[in-house]
Amino acid sequence: MTSSTILSYVTFIYFTGFTLYLLMMVMGKKSFGTAATFVSLAGLVAHSVAIVLRWMESYQLGIGHAPLSNLYESLIFFSWTVTLFYLVVEWRTKNRVLGAFVMPISSLALAYASFSPSVNSRIQPLVPALKSNWLIAHVITCFFSYAAFALSFALSIIYLIKLKNQGAGRAGSFLNRIPDSRVLDELNYQIVIIGFLMLTLGIITGSVWAHSAWGTYWGWDPKETWSLITWLIYASVIHARIARGWEGKRIAVLCIVGFACVIFTYFGVNYLAGLHSYAKS
Amino acid sequence: MIDRSELRALRIFLILDSEEDTLAFAISVQVKKTGNHMNATINHGTSKKSGLGIFWRFFSSVKLTIALLVILAAVSVIGTLIPQREGAIDFAMGMNPRLFQVFMSLNLFDIYHSLLFRIILGFLVMNLVVCSIDRFPVTWKLFSYIPSPDKSRIFQDIPTEQTCILSGNSKHILDRIEEFLHKRYGKVFSKKGDKYSSFFVQTGRFSRFGVYIVHFSILLILAGGLVGSLFGFEGYVNIVEGDKTDKIHVSGSRQQKNLGFEIRCDRFTVSYYKSGMPKEYKSEITFIVNGKDVKKGTLLVNHPLHFRGITFYQASYGTIPGKKIILRAVINGKSFSFPVSLQKSVPLPGNGGELLLEDIRDNLVGIGPAALISILPRHGEKISIWIFKNPALAKSRLPEPMLKSPKFNPSAFRPYTFFLEGVDTVYYTGLQVSKDPGVPIVWAGCVILVTGLFITFFMSHRRIWIRAENHKSGVRVRVAGMANRDPVGLRRHLFKLTDDLRKYVL
Repeated sequence: MTSSTILSYVTFIYFTGFTLYLLMMVMGKKSFGTAATFVSLAGLVAHSVAIVLRWMESYQLGIGHAPLSNLYESLIFFSWTVTLFYLVVEWRTKNRVLGAFVMPISSLALAYASFSPSVNSRIQPLVPALKSNWLIAHVITCFFSYAAFALSFALSIIYLIKLKNQGAGRAGSFLNRIPDSRVLDELNYQIVIIGFLMLTLGIITGSVWAHSAWGTYWGWDPKETWSLITWLIYASVIHARIARGWEGKRIAVLCIVGFACVIFTYFGVNYLAGLHSYAKS
Repeated sequence: MIDRSELRALRIFLILDSEEDTLAFAISVQVKKTGNHMNATINHGTSKKSGLGIFWRFFSSVKLTIALLVILAAVSVIGTLIPQREGAIDFAMGMNPRLFQVFMSLNLFDIYHSLLFRIILGFLVMNLVVCSIDRFPVTWKLFSYIPSPDKSRIFQDIPTEQTCILSGNSKHILDRIEEFLHKRYGKVFSKKGDKYSSFFVQTGRFSRFGVYIVHFSILLILAGGLVGSLFGFEGYVNIVEGDKTDKIHVSGSRQQKNLGFEIRCDRFTVSYYKSGMPKEYKSEITFIVNGKDVKKGTLLVNHPLHFRGITFYQASYGTIPGKKIILRAVINGKSFSFPVSLQKSVPLPGNGGELLLEDIRDNLVGIGPAALISILPRHGEKISIWIFKNPALAKSRLPEPMLKSPKFNPSAFRPYTFFLEGVDTVYYTGLQVSKDPGVPIVWAGCVILVTGLFITFFMSHRRIWIRAENHKSGVRVRVAGMANRDPVGLRRHLFKLTDDLRKYVL
């Protein structure tokens, strides 16, 4: 299948992008940054083409469906949303430091999808439970929220690195290229808001779907519950920030905890029994 | 809902503008908050010691909100680690009995329906309601307050993009400005003077209620859940193809519930993809009222059927032995296969007598399908034998005395040896049955929640002041504003407003 081959190459393109962002940060040469953006953008284009191809391939097999139906396809889509989201943020903020922290996430997700023996890349037909118009809306909203939270995680890490090395910044150190911590904090909050809204939509579309498939809009299935836990954590981040005026370090730490919940919702839940088993393999 | 950033904004408001009305307003907000002893962030230690005071202070705190959200998250985590409800049986069997007692008393095997969980939710609801009541007066003031159109300090240090010079008759220009503002913002507040005229307009002031909308929607969703648990039910029923029933099992209890009408499963089919994966589960269902077929429908996964406020979902399926088997008899090396129906007798091949099929079991003592046959020989006594579909497995699994008993020996009736070739099976369909009058409330809550989040996060209350003063042969217009969030968006808004205003007046 051509799409899987392209995707395995995109893994390396993203890794190259990551290396270039890192070089830009360490060596301070702008040309590396420009190259990094171009490489990542090229990767994203190839990635998008591969997703469309896979979609078409599924129709050629006579089992046409959007490529959002199993672990392999979800990892591909996750990586795609993270890269897309990052490039939009880079374009809007005109700062590339975040790239060195986000591109490894995109690259790792693709590498796991492409090279892990436990992840099956075959195009499979949809089992009855997945045959629903809600599949696309549910998966897209959920993964946009995951991508936003991945970015927020990267921003929080950068924030903490900056905080730890405050005052130690020698001239020319990469720390000087990190935006002001207040800018980081504000950007993080904006991204958390987008992620929170998307997660809310993801949970709602999921429960509408569950209502038509399983007869109940909320069944305390582990994946459902963990998405609620994630939602509660980010809800407390937003309350802490808006109403209690929390900023900086505390918010950054909470966002890292939040992303840990996202990761557990995504992967960890597979080790608990539940109804979302199709996302396992 | 007033919060810290808003208070900060209020203070800036104060610093920016010392005109009396604003000052009076800002002070009234501060006094209101102090006077009511309601806001923990401003007012520590001066609270009345009355019961209501303590209650109010406790439940109006955002610290409590954050604590409750985190506790709710933590309890939910526990619920995903300990198997819940039906899934808990195996887990509980292997437990220390003392620990089991503790788990049972805390209802940890059904944590999401436990008293503990409901108390936390109750606290959250109280917290939400009290916070909303507590902060609403201030929000209302911010919503309805109209500041003076005439302000000076706000125009200090504004970017050049917020200024323009319009040439022409000043009376005409002022009219055009007012007309433009009215078209774009609705109500325009103005103060005309000899030297200059001032205008005030605002947009998005409704967004101040976004937070209340969000919180109201949460209450609505919880209310919908409550309505569902009080007035709804959830159950399941298995119906064999061709059979009908009017009773269902209620989930989580041993009770049965009478539906008041009958459901018949006319047909159940499973189809598969080439790879062997299931493609579709389909039940043809008929609803029967007083013996009459009232409604027919096809039930698929993701496509439930509704009847009289009750919804039926395709949940599972299975097979049970039907009423026919294929038996093979071997006599002196000769083999005969023939069908036998339950409770029917057939003549034995080779004229040995009559054979009666007495029972069919889907899974006898864990060894799989088996049939009980009785042989009435021409001469002698009746012999009953259990024939297993898998005799090799039976041989390895059955205990020695049973194997020796003629009852489990397929060759007990000489010279015949019997084999169970096949058991006819029939499908049953497993339906999830539920009635939940809370669902529409929950969906309404979800729509309101998303709307509220959009309003809260992406809209802002923008207050805009415009000053037009005589300038040489025309009018100099300056535009300035304030917003409760998104300063970048406000700037863009003011730039565009200035530009559009210039174009309109020209």
